[in-house]
Amino acid sequence: MFWLKTWRALRRKGVLGINQRNGELVLRYNPRHLYPLVDDKLQTKQRAIAAGIEVPELYGVISTEQGIAGLGALLSGHRDFVIKPAQGAGGDGIVVISDRFDSMFRTSSGRLMSLDELEFHVSGILSGIYSLGGHRDCALIEYRVRPDNVFSAISFEGVPDIRIIVLCGYPVMAMLRLPTRQSQGKANLHQGAIGVGVDLASGITMGGTWHNLKIDRHPDTASPVSGVQLPYWEQFLQLASRSYDITGLGYLGVDMVLDCDAGPMILELNARPGLNIQIANDAGLMERCQTVEAEMERCREQGIEVGAQERIRFCQQRFGSRSEA
Amino acid sequence: MRTVRLHARLLALFLCLLGVGSVLWQVLVQEIPLSDSEVDPVWIVDARIEFQGEDNSPVKLEMYVPSGKGEFVTLSESFVGNKYGINVSTHNGNRLATWSTRRAAGKQVLYYRLVLARRFVVERGPASSPQFRPSEPLEGAERAAAEALLGPIRERSADIQTFVSETIATVNDDTNDSVRLLLAGDRSVEQRTRVVEMLLSAAHVPVEQVHVLRLSGQSVSPEMWLRSFNGESWLYLNPLTAEQGLPEQSIVWWTGSDPLVQVEGASLPRLQFSVHRSEMSTIQMARNVQPLQQRVFWGLSLYDLPLESQKTFRIIMMIPLGVLLILMLRNLVGVETLGTFTPVLVALAFRETDLIWGIFLFTVVTALGLSLRSYLDHLRLQLLPRLSVVLTFVVVVITLISVFGHRLGLERGLSVALFPMVILTMVIERLSIVWEERGGLHSMKVALGTLLAATLAHLLMIRPDLTYFFFTFPGALLVVVSVMLLMGHYRGYRLSELRRFRALTKD
Repeated sequence: MFWLKTWRALRRKGVLGINQRNGELVLRYNPRHLYPLVDDKLQTKQRAIAAGIEVPELYGVISTEQGIAGLGALLSGHRDFVIKPAQGAGGDGIVVISDRFDSMFRTSSGRLMSLDELEFHVSGILSGIYSLGGHRDCALIEYRVRPDNVFSAISFEGVPDIRIIVLCGYPVMAMLRLPTRQSQGKANLHQGAIGVGVDLASGITMGGTWHNLKIDRHPDTASPVSGVQLPYWEQFLQLASRSYDITGLGYLGVDMVLDCDAGPMILELNARPGLNIQIANDAGLMERCQTVEAEMERCREQGIEVGAQERIRFCQQRFGSRSEA
Repeated sequence: MRTVRLHARLLALFLCLLGVGSVLWQVLVQEIPLSDSEVDPVWIVDARIEFQGEDNSPVKLEMYVPSGKGEFVTLSESFVGNKYGINVSTHNGNRLATWSTRRAAGKQVLYYRLVLARRFVVERGPASSPQFRPSEPLEGAERAAAEALLGPIRERSADIQTFVSETIATVNDDTNDSVRLLLAGDRSVEQRTRVVEMLLSAAHVPVEQVHVLRLSGQSVSPEMWLRSFNGESWLYLNPLTAEQGLPEQSIVWWTGSDPLVQVEGASLPRLQFSVHRSEMSTIQMARNVQPLQQRVFWGLSLYDLPLESQKTFRIIMMIPLGVLLILMLRNLVGVETLGTFTPVLVALAFRETDLIWGIFLFTVVTALGLSLRSYLDHLRLQLLPRLSVVLTFVVVVITLISVFGHRLGLERGLSVALFPMVILTMVIERLSIVWEERGGLHSMKVALGTLLAATLAHLLMIRPDLTYFFFTFPGALLVVVSVMLLMGHYRGYRLSELRRFRALTKD
């Protein structure tokens, strides 16, 4: 009986389940051959740059063993940077250098590394030990994001990011992901980060979720997570909406960061975004996706060409400003 | 989207009907039993022939044996006689067995054994008309008596059937003088039958003696019956009571008025019949009947494979069922497993080791392998060398377990040798990836889910009744496929999601 009641309540709320996500959204909107665009961070970045979308600046790519010799020269102009595998997963293999000390490099956790050690690390990335399939990979050296101060009260460590689910260019739901002590600076919800729902219309945070529970305070800092105004909200929505145009993937999770100098930028894209964003927003994704599908149908029938601006407007009107209610 | 879904549903329906149809065809047309444990009664009829041989003289003994036509099917037939040659021939529409020997001295015992069953009876064509026997000319008083009797009989009857039964009733009426005259003081069944035959042949109604053995009941010697041909089929009548139709559970042993046994060169034999009922597995019977009747059981094609392949196919045919179970566990319940096929492979491995021992091994070897894998991680090895090291380690661990198990007297430890190492290695590799990506807690959850799914799949796949069913009715796999097709369009929540999104139902 409990099951049936819960089932009905979830259906009423338009909550999206895994079977439905895979069958009706991912299978339908995301052609398999486009996956490399999001799995390979280099390709994502190149596309984004070509389209003029903000991404962390790419200092250089090392794709061959011979290229490793040029690492020192490549790094010479930068005090801080990030080295990451292009096809890594789960944040493995990422080295964040926050400062230099003499001829050494200091990582964000305070460890000192020599250039030799960095070269060895890059060599490891190239041989594919961080890529899941074990394929040969290449190493990206890019700008280190410094999170904006707006998050300092509600974030524990690491870089908070903003995820927006986009259906064919329509931003349907947004969430701020805050690392916790448990997630060890990573912003992945299943690793223990918290997700905070964001009102699409205003960019003000709402309630949060942590381990499938609803919460309203950060477990580490105990400060309330709701009511925080995210700056540059319109730009975030723009970035999310345009990522559909550069990849062609209809159902996307767009992960973005807010750099204190450069402002909003896209970090990576996800073709199978998780479902816990629904708990953070206390709203069902299916309901919203169906609304958007109906709108797209309407536009197609009337032959209206819809730009990113109209799409964002539509979503803000339909899904936003629930905080007023 | 909607048309695709309709397409899938129609395909599922078609496959389902095809599968059910093939099973029904096998069950209804080919009479293949639905269950392994189904048994059918069989009757074992023994005829024992005993006689005294005379001073090393040659002996030839002839006995009629059943023709095997009728509502029973002959499963097997054996002729036993020490130092006797056996020959079976056809004689006047009967089968005749001939035992012969050059020398017979002292007591001689011969056996004839017949095993009968009621299933898989071949439909017979229309009965053929019998051969008329010229009526014996009757003379004098007999002729007068016969005509005196036939007159009223003819008046009181309408067709061959009533004519014959009326004749039998008349002949059994002892008060009738004409009958008494014809019987000539002999009131045995044989004599009455002979008189009935005589009267009927005088009236040009063809009639024949049949000797019937009842398979149930106390009297185990052939009874004499009469049969008459009415132009379409045989009518069987009891010569004493005019009762129609052969008794239930009886077979025609032979027809005609010749004695059952004829012997040359020895004393008159003593004949003893015994019948007892037994049971036989129906599927066994189906396979025995097949070569006897030269009937091809397409429905039992898998049983024609060599035994070794049959054994393999008994396992293979169950794999789709195991996969279906995993599919349900994942998409309906939401149990997280390592892929779809790993649990099925682990379940197959459990078959070799037994469940409890298999779970123990799986846990121990995986735990050890995972710790090795996490150590190897520090060495930053490439994928293939790393996998090879883990595989070798698994082999070493399993060898050690076997050796120690043997030392400790646990023979179970030896069954391990066949536990597929590659499966374990892959489990370790994939689990460690899950560990890295999603943390230790999650990988424990996945490992437990895999173990649970494998255990359930194993228990399902070793069920003997299901194994029998899918091996005997491979068409049932189409039904499994149709369920899988429907599952492909299942869009509902998984049970685990009802828990996961519980927070969303509270306002």
